[in-house]
Parts: sequence; structure tokens; C-alpha cells
Amino acid sequence: MNLHEPGRADALAAEYVLGTLRGRARARFERMMRTDRALSDAVRNWEERLVPLAEELPPIAPPTRVWAAILARTGSMPVARASIWSSLGLWRALAFASLATVVALATVLLSPAPEAPQGTLVVVLAGADAKPALVASADRIGRYLSVKPVARVDLAADRALELWMLPDGANPRSLGLINATGVARVALSAPADEALRNIPALAVSLEPRGGSPTGLPTGPVLYSGPVQRMY
Amino acid sequence: MAIDPGKQLERNARLMELLARTALADQRAFAELYGMTSAHLYAVALRILRDAGAAEEVLQESFVNVWHHAGSYVAAKSQPLTWLTSIVRNRCLDQLRRREVATVTLDDDEEGLSIAAEDPTPLEMLLSGADARAVGACVEALEQGQKQAIALAFFQGLSHSELAHHLREPLGTVKSWIRRGLERLRACLDGAGVTR
Repeated sequence: MNLHEPGRADALAAEYVLGTLRGRARARFERMMRTDRALSDAVRNWEERLVPLAEELPPIAPPTRVWAAILARTGSMPVARASIWSSLGLWRALAFASLATVVALATVLLSPAPEAPQGTLVVVLAGADAKPALVASADRIGRYLSVKPVARVDLAADRALELWMLPDGANPRSLGLINATGVARVALSAPADEALRNIPALAVSLEPRGGSPTGLPTGPVLYSGPVQRMY
Repeated sequence: MAIDPGKQLERNARLMELLARTALADQRAFAELYGMTSAHLYAVALRILRDAGAAEEVLQESFVNVWHHAGSYVAAKSQPLTWLTSIVRNRCLDQLRRREVATVTLDDDEEGLSIAAEDPTPLEMLLSGADARAVGACVEALEQGQKQAIALAFFQGLSHSELAHHLREPLGTVKSWIRRGLERLRACLDGAGVTR
């Protein structure tokens, strides 16, 4: 790669930004750019020329799990976990926030203390209006899911809420009944990591008191959400 | 669709502020930055990689990188969205490079090269993007082949050999379209005062 030929450095910078400088040449160019100020300036100038063209692409919202994963990897705020977790007011407030924000905050708040790095699974269960209604979470090595309402859930006395795992390409499997108010602890057959492996999502259906008589959801699915793995 | 210059200025100022605060480890600013830019950046990655999982991964890696290196953003040198988009584009191109290494017979792999008939086409986007930047005349001045090759390379991440395959032209022709097209774009854009 001879950069001393007149115009050569700029031509390479242009093809680097356009993306047609490929393979080993691209890697080599990147290495040279790190020490060659003129080269990195040429690249920056080409970025200013070409990259704004991308602004006309119609935006596409990424899935919420991307943000959850980013937060999980960028550290958590120093928040006392137990006191926040038990503050229903906060969770109620979160119900008005967007789904992404809730996932984000749940991640931050539920992240284990730094001295004991573990993983957390979080599921934000939202209704058809996309408003979060319940947040389920578990330590990846824990044997239960904590399910907490974050919005008011109106439930007739003769009805119950049942939590389901939704495996890919198989029937829903019941995890048991949950409360419309207060935290429910739902036992898992194995550590959460294992119990929820191959389970992309959870859902909550409306069932007769005592739960579904058939072993499959019989009432409408009120809430559902993807299983987010924060590790 | 032309972008309202006033709105754009306002947005850029906000993004600069958010990047500055992100550099100070302000999580709220970081969240807002993500909210304002992720849909744009995801669209860029998806278009190049044509694979949702890979695009998500690039977006995630890029923002983790931004969190750690927001301090290296220099407002005097780059527009904030250009800076962010370049981070994402470079990661996408790295991914393509890894795929190329893994795919020995890439040039025979027609399936991987087929371009989905989506709207708008890269060429239309190139033109509308250029219009938004008031440099429509520069792009118009390019020959058809140059325009097409540059649009496909920019929006879909096609390499020289992929371009040759897709456009059914000899490799040498495509390479010279790209080279001449970029030279003419540069002369024209710099003349229009786009670059500082």
C-alpha cells in the first residue's frame, strides 16, 4: 500500500469509508490510520462527505433486548437493591414509562452486587397496549421467579392469573398462578438459567380460579414478554 | 424528503451534549442518546448485514463502545450522528470481512449476493440523501454506473467483486466507476462547501 503517490492516501480513505476497501487491505489501512494523522483526517473528511447519506434510511426500531444487553454490559448504578425492589411506588411509576425504559431500569436495579457477579433474567410482561403490567425476574442460578405487578391489574374474584413458558414450537407450559397484587414467587424445576433455556418468552393468561383445568391456557393471554438474559 | 435544517441543528446540538454527558458516565444521557439514534443505526446495520441477529449484535457492540469511548468524540471534527453511524458501519464491514474469510467460494455464492427488491432502492436513497444535503447536483453529475456502484457499496456493503457480480460488469470497470465516482463526488461536494 503506497501512500506516497499523490492522491493515493485520499483515494484509499474514500474506499475505506465507502466500504469497498476490504480484506487484509482494510485491516492494514486501519493500523496505519492509528498512527498517521493525515490519514485519519482524510477518513474523517470522507465520513463527513458520505455518511450523512445514511440519514435518509427509514429508521427501524431495534428489539428491546439490545438495550437491555447494552445496559447489562455498561455497569449498573450504585442503588441499594432491596429498598428499591420493595418500593411499589417506583414500580408503579415505571408502569408509565416505556417498555425499553423499564427493561433498562429493571436491569440496573436487579443487577447483582459487583462483588458477586452473576446473571439475572428479566421478563417485562406487557399487554396489547405495550404498557408493562408485570416484571418477572430471577437470578440465573436461582430456583424461583419473582413476579411483581407494576400496574394495576383488575381481576374478578373468580378469576386467576396463570404464568406460562412459551417454548419455541411447543405448547405453553404452566409455571403456576401469580398474584394481581404483591410479589409472587414462582418455583422453577431447575436453576433459572436451565429452566428457561430455549424459552424465548413468557405469557400470562386469564383463567378460572385455581388455574387452567386443561393444562393449556384457556382464557385470553393478557400479557407477554421476551426473556431477557442479562449475562 | 428534505430534513428541516433548523431541526437538524437542534438535534445535532442535543446529540453533542448527550455524548459529552455520556463521556462523564451519565447513564440517563446515554439512554437518551440510544433513544434518539438506535433506530437510525439499526436500519444502517440491517441494510448492510441483512441479518437481524448480526445487526443487533453490531448495535450492542457499538453502544458499549460509545459508552466507554464517548470522550474520544471531537465535536469540532465530526457531526455526532456521522460519528455514531461510522462506528456502526465500520463494525458491519468488519463482520462482512469475517464472513468473507469464512466463505472461501464467496464469488460463486450467488445466493448471498442477491439483493432484496426493497423500497427505496439504494440509488433512490443516495439521491434523496444527497438532496437533503443540498448536493443533489453533485450526485446527478455522476454517470449512471458510478451512481449505482457507489450506492450499492455504501448502503449494502458490497465489495468490488460483489458489485461486479451484481452489476454484471468486469471487475476493472466497477473499480474505475467507484474510483472516478468518488473523485467527482469529492470535487463537487468540496466545491459546495460540505466539508469543513
